[in-house]
Amino acid sequence: MARILIPTPLRQFAEKQDSIELAGVTAGEILTGLTTRFPDLRKHLYNEEGKLRSFVNVYLNDEDIRYIGRESAAVAESDTLSIVPSIAGGRNV
Amino acid sequence: MIHVERQPWREMVNHASATYPNECCGAMIGTIDGDRKTVSVALALDNVSQGPQAARYELRPEDLLRADREARSRNLELIGIYHSHPDCGAYFSETDLKNSCPWYSFVVLSIQNGTFDHANSWLPDADQTHAEKEELTWPES
Repeated sequence: MARILIPTPLRQFAEKQDSIELAGVTAGEILTGLTTRFPDLRKHLYNEEGKLRSFVNVYLNDEDIRYIGRESAAVAESDTLSIVPSIAGGRNV
Repeated sequence: MIHVERQPWREMVNHASATYPNECCGAMIGTIDGDRKTVSVALALDNVSQGPQAARYELRPEDLLRADREARSRNLELIGIYHSHPDCGAYFSETDLKNSCPWYSFVVLSIQNGTFDHANSWLPDADQTHAEKEELTWPES
């Protein structure tokens, strides 16, 4: 079972757990398992087209899955996935 | 509401002043008790924007991952993000909104001529179209 860490504000949609153990051999399977088990999480992670929201990054240990096969990235039992947002901004010019 | 304790508040203001005339950014870590968030640790993070940093900031996701791990190791929560607006108000700009995440509080510090002037906290929505103002307090507020 791999582990996925739940960001604090999303724990209310995951029975207040800070991490979840899920079966799966790819990042996609883990993410699907997560949103199947906690359907209320889905709208926070995915847009209406079923794609990860623009500000959502998923890390497999220390690597962004976009660079290691996206949702096909291979996951081992000892791995940890993290959900990390992209954040930027700046004043009006 | 969100309250920032004395030490992290000083660090946030000092970071914003030291970075002037550029924007600074960082993470806020602490506890959440119902509707009340209390920031007990401020983590200054790099502004990695490739644009003019006097009007832009960008966080490395890897740094946020590190901040989240730091929070978990201390049995605390990653509560929000802070950044500064040099020589303008602590509003939530269109750029802030379009590059935000609805999961966190966003504290904006207005720095005028290198000195802290005022601050506000904002809660953006999931569609990145609107941000609600959140009550923000700190020891001298």
